[in-house]
Amino acid sequence: MLAGGPRWVAPALAVAAGYYLAARLGFVFTLQLQPVSTLWLPNALLLAVLVLARTRDWWWLLLAALPAHLFAELQSGVPSAMVLGWFVSNCSEALIGAALVRAFVAQPFRLDGFRNSGVLLFAAFGAPLASSFLDAALVRWIGWGETPYWELVGRRFFSNLLAQLTVVPLVVTWAALLAGGLPRLRAARCVEAALLGAGLLLVCLLVFGVPPPSAHFAPALFYAPLPFLLWAAVRFGPTGIASALPVMTVATIWGAVHGAGPFTAGTALENTLEMQLFLAAAAVPLILFAVALDERLRLERESRAQLTHLSRVATLGELSGGIAHELNQPLTAILSNAQAARHFLANKPGDSEMLREILDDIILADERAGHVIERLRAMFKRAETRHESLDMNALVREVTALAHGELTTRGVQVTLRLAERLPRVNGDRVQLQQVLLNLIMNGAQAMVACAPDERFLTITTLATGHKVHVNVTDRGHGFSVAPQKLFEAFYTTKQDGLGLGLSISHSIVTAHRGRLWAATRRGGGAAFLVTLPALAPA
Amino acid sequence: MALTVPFVAIVDDEEPVRKALKRLLRASGLEAETYESGQQFLEASAKRRPDCVLLDLHMPGLSGLQVLQALRASKTTLPTVVITAYDEPSSREQCLAAGAAAYLRKPLDERLLLNAISLHVNRLPREKAEK
Repeated sequence: MLAGGPRWVAPALAVAAGYYLAARLGFVFTLQLQPVSTLWLPNALLLAVLVLARTRDWWWLLLAALPAHLFAELQSGVPSAMVLGWFVSNCSEALIGAALVRAFVAQPFRLDGFRNSGVLLFAAFGAPLASSFLDAALVRWIGWGETPYWELVGRRFFSNLLAQLTVVPLVVTWAALLAGGLPRLRAARCVEAALLGAGLLLVCLLVFGVPPPSAHFAPALFYAPLPFLLWAAVRFGPTGIASALPVMTVATIWGAVHGAGPFTAGTALENTLEMQLFLAAAAVPLILFAVALDERLRLERESRAQLTHLSRVATLGELSGGIAHELNQPLTAILSNAQAARHFLANKPGDSEMLREILDDIILADERAGHVIERLRAMFKRAETRHESLDMNALVREVTALAHGELTTRGVQVTLRLAERLPRVNGDRVQLQQVLLNLIMNGAQAMVACAPDERFLTITTLATGHKVHVNVTDRGHGFSVAPQKLFEAFYTTKQDGLGLGLSISHSIVTAHRGRLWAATRRGGGAAFLVTLPALAPA
Repeated sequence: MALTVPFVAIVDDEEPVRKALKRLLRASGLEAETYESGQQFLEASAKRRPDCVLLDLHMPGLSGLQVLQALRASKTTLPTVVITAYDEPSSREQCLAAGAAAYLRKPLDERLLLNAISLHVNRLPREKAEK
């Protein structure tokens, strides 16, 4: 409907709708006899929107919230001067917070790393604090209600602080997730997320939604949701904890509003403050914990990717002779054909049929050289892991073609026994090629001492049940150590080997939820078996 | 004595290379025949002996070096120009020690190739070349 309109229409409408909804929720989360909401969400929503938006779009995004603000507030019987005053203080909170974030972190903002999360938490504290002085001053200046200035500052600050800690991480993490396209989650992961969400909700309702058996139990009950929150942080990172915290916050406030849960012992004011402090104190360390863990995992992933790439580059070094062979063959065909054509032109200039044949062969040879380069580029470029549906037979053919030169110069004869109708697997093309290339090269190198007519390498693919197997066997010297030893990092029997190939292959296959096995063959040689889960049953 | 066109055997496992070299040699006034493996060449050379052989070093089955050794074992003196797309440091010495007349790297320089062939073909006693 809005596809044809200016590009600001849809975001402006979304901000207005979100602001209105958040304001209505803020009213719902107001304890009886309380003038200030326990959780005032609209300001936090505005701050999150500004953090994600370009600075030059801030003015119209804030303006878009004005009608929603007027519509929501004027229904509550507040004087119009106060309604406008609150809009000014709400916008100032969002602007202060977003400006703090923008001053220290470049766009696009992501909740990763200590710096970014520290800046966001600083803004979540600083913006409500600074704007609450203005807000309370406006209230007193306009003369709305009787609450003293400093009490107003305190109440508004804690209400907005909790909202910032609840809303901003949620919006920022989900925006980053959706900006990268919704990740295709495995069924098991979806089930886990659903179990986590249901478990957390259930525990929160039991703890915060029913009247407490006794005031003495209250401190112990606070810890009941903690396992679920830790589960969210550890297994789902910042997005997980940012999604789990609002569940606890909403359940806690909903319970208190309905006179249930541990926050019902004191006066409404005391209960509100206790609840806000409890929720804010729980949110900060949990967010930092999730971010720290996520950063550590990210660094580990990056180092592993670097090591994997390093190992690929090392393989490139081993392949260099074979690559020279693979390129020199078509170059020979091109050069000799061109030289022959020169003779034909000098001796039989009219024989255009022969010249056409020669040119066709030159084109074919050139294309073949191009394919060699293409395969190399695809294999050795540094790229993010990308899973796709793969045909292992095609992968075996590609890698065998890549290693053809090396196998030829080593006098290795390759036999492919590829299963017909092999189910596809889900995996990263480059990484699985790396595994196969590594096994092929290992097999070829293991047969150096064999007589030239006994260097046979066999690659077999087959499917059993829900699994796809690729078996690489050689007739080399085999191995005398326990198979597991082969997969240890830096274990090598080669003089110039890094000892990374099999170790990295093992971790690649494991990351693909598969297994890499090694065995000695009867009659000499080694067999390496890659087993991967099939996408469809055989 | 009739003038005969020297006959060169081309042994290479890759068809595009065999075809291109055959074209070049024929365009240069030589007779050329191709063989896709060392085994095929050894069998054929027993029936019709070439004046010179262009022998690829790296081939599946019998390698160029093994063909040279087989020729030497059968006491066959055949001017052999070893050609290779992958030049390892020790290959040249090994091939020359095994009786190769020349050792050339691919892609082949036409002048060097024809020089190597003509040098060894011309050295052949005329009557032997006519066999």
